[in-house]
Amino acid sequence: MKLKAGLLLVIVAVLTLEATFIIQYHYSQREIKKEASLRAASELKSAENKIMDVVNQAEAAVRNSIWVAEWCLETPDSLKRIPQRIVSENPVVVGSTMALVPGYSEKYPLYAPYAMRDDETGKIKMLSLATEEYDYPSSEWFTKPIEMDEGYWSEPYFDENGGDILMTTFSMPVKDRNGKIAAIVTADISLEWLAELIERMKVYPNAFNMVVSRNGNIMVCTVENLTMKATIDQIALESDDYKALDRVNKAMLAGQYGEMPVKYQGEINHVYFAPVERTGWSLSIVLPEKDLYSGVRRMAMNVQLLQLLGLSMIIIILRVVAKNRAKYQRINEQKERIENELHIAREIQMSMIPKTFPPFPERKDLDLAASIIPAKEVGGDLYDFFIRDEKLFFCIGDVSGKGIPASLVMAVTRSLFRAMSAHEDSPAKIVTSMNNTMSEANERSMFVTFFCGVLDLSAGQLRYCNAGHNPPMILTDAIRVLPVEPNLPIGIMKGVDFIEQETPFLYDDALFLYTDGLSEAENATKEQFGEDRIEKALHGRKRSSDHLENIKQQVSQFVGEAPQSDDLTMLFIHYLAHVVPAQQERHLELHNDIKQISLLAEFIEKIAEEKKLDETLAMNLNLALEEAVTNVILYAYPKGTDGLVDIDAIVMEHSLEFIITDSGVPFDPTAAPEADITLSADERPIGGLGIFMVRKLMDEVHYQRLDNKNVLKMTKNI
Amino acid sequence: MTINIEKTNDMTIAHLAGRLDTPASTEVAPSFEQLNDAANGMVVLDCTELVYISSSGLRLFLALRKASAAKGGKVIVRNISNSIRQVFMMTGFLNLFEIE
Repeated sequence: MKLKAGLLLVIVAVLTLEATFIIQYHYSQREIKKEASLRAASELKSAENKIMDVVNQAEAAVRNSIWVAEWCLETPDSLKRIPQRIVSENPVVVGSTMALVPGYSEKYPLYAPYAMRDDETGKIKMLSLATEEYDYPSSEWFTKPIEMDEGYWSEPYFDENGGDILMTTFSMPVKDRNGKIAAIVTADISLEWLAELIERMKVYPNAFNMVVSRNGNIMVCTVENLTMKATIDQIALESDDYKALDRVNKAMLAGQYGEMPVKYQGEINHVYFAPVERTGWSLSIVLPEKDLYSGVRRMAMNVQLLQLLGLSMIIIILRVVAKNRAKYQRINEQKERIENELHIAREIQMSMIPKTFPPFPERKDLDLAASIIPAKEVGGDLYDFFIRDEKLFFCIGDVSGKGIPASLVMAVTRSLFRAMSAHEDSPAKIVTSMNNTMSEANERSMFVTFFCGVLDLSAGQLRYCNAGHNPPMILTDAIRVLPVEPNLPIGIMKGVDFIEQETPFLYDDALFLYTDGLSEAENATKEQFGEDRIEKALHGRKRSSDHLENIKQQVSQFVGEAPQSDDLTMLFIHYLAHVVPAQQERHLELHNDIKQISLLAEFIEKIAEEKKLDETLAMNLNLALEEAVTNVILYAYPKGTDGLVDIDAIVMEHSLEFIITDSGVPFDPTAAPEADITLSADERPIGGLGIFMVRKLMDEVHYQRLDNKNVLKMTKNI
Repeated sequence: MTINIEKTNDMTIAHLAGRLDTPASTEVAPSFEQLNDAANGMVVLDCTELVYISSSGLRLFLALRKASAAKGGKVIVRNISNSIRQVFMMTGFLNLFEIE
């Protein structure tokens, strides 16, 4: 398409250039021809004038002598004065005679005194033409005027006497009183000047000029070897264009003005001609066409060379442009295609992730929201969730790297998660089989940080396995980082065992999962959003989707104008089931009497027996409980007053929870300072060990003041 | 909880048996006073039959250790069970006593 346009452009350029060139060439030729024609005419005119000047002088010299000559006829001896006077008084006349008609004078049957100018001295010499060798009465100059009874210009001739100069003679009859022609008076002029004149007329280098006599003899010609050696007719015979030359010849001999093209020796010549009055001569300029147009042809050649150069440049430029265009177009198309494909990849990727919220509108026990804010590129974040057998399976992950590879791995991860969790309930087992599959063919060493959770919706129990992912935040009574085992991310090494963890997940508990796109979101000063800000942002009771909106806003405020470099993925799971988990509750009520402490041993023993706890664990539980309860018994109630201490033990599959409640004065044992166990015996205070031991022995200790009661909750994972 | 104190020429040996919980600690406090009096010499706490000890019990141990330190005596804790050893470890008591 582009190539065709370029070609068209070149063709149009060529046509335009050629057309203008041809027109210009044509006009130039015409103008030049017109100019040459004018110039030739003017040259011819000027030459004619010059010739006429000489001719007139010679003629006048003769004519003006006629009346004197008529006089002199009476006295033949005085006749010689006539030519003498003509020569002396007319510089153009080189020689003159007055020749008597034979038999006119009795005294001189033949009489022709001849006056001529001596070239060297300039003096007039007198000779006689009436010699035996020179039969003047039969000379053309003598016979013709008598015949015509008027002045006559002779054919040019070489003067045999006076040296080899070309001459022509004007002769005129002189009549006596009876009207009879008695003598002829002449004036000779040299044609040497004519040659000079003609030579000066030579306006073009190869042009030549000539003067042709009335008989067609070439009198003078700038082409030396033609002078007096040929007639036009002879030349015409040799010529390859006889007709044209003949036509010129005839026109010239007829005394016409004109201009005719003649082909001579393979070349076109323009012949301009003009007659010279009275003499019967014809002046002509022969101009070879190549001369005439040599300038315009040279110009034409230069112009065409320039055009060729210009066109070549245009073609080269077009080719370069076309090539570049094609290249850029190709690159652009490729870029567009890649961008388009990336876009599609992103869409496919996003379509794999559940995006309808709320996802389980029929379930009142679960408020779940999730969000991915993708970075510009296709990223490798993912989340997924589904419910099977009253269990919520969910995951969040972040594939190392970015772009298509990450998104592919993300897709694989998500598919594997679905496949592996279809029949398996244990997060650790799901993650382990995902890891084994992904490590097997992982040539690019891409890995995925992954958190997999299974929330038992009927039991309020969360089991999870964290494979190198940011630990989620768990929102129970407080907001804390969920304790996670330092498992490797998925895809690094085959055969690794992933450790599963468990935590009770009760009514109103929530879990907030996120990728490092959130915690590592940077503002303009490279400060990261961080866990503390996340924790603060999670405060307050909100619906899951509002929590995510709130965090998005806070991050957006924090980040400001800084570009988002990584996907930002969040998953918020709020558990709202009032289910009683598979548990057993035991209750013990004690009075604020220290002796009652001993009852704790029996209480623990029963639980230990039931849960088959080992001796050390049982002792530790006893110890923790004793320390906590002792605190209450000793400090909650004023001395001497009776008070109750309620102990509730909630026994679950994987954990034990003790809730100690009293109605005494507000007292938070968890606020007590940590005991320093590194001190020496002398420095160590006697007290402060109790609560320290409780903290050490239990996994979670949490104090609350509720309804004017102190509530201490202690959890031990088993 | 029982405590039997046996005196020889060069040392005092206390045989602890049972659970040394908070109420028991109150019970045996007078016996520990005796031990504190003898803390200028060597005192051996034989824990072979001790199955449980809470912070109040540990407090008695610590008081004895302080008295012994003040009088230039020596306290040896003998034969503690693994469970109690863990409690000792947790509380830093392993470093305060000579454990046999």
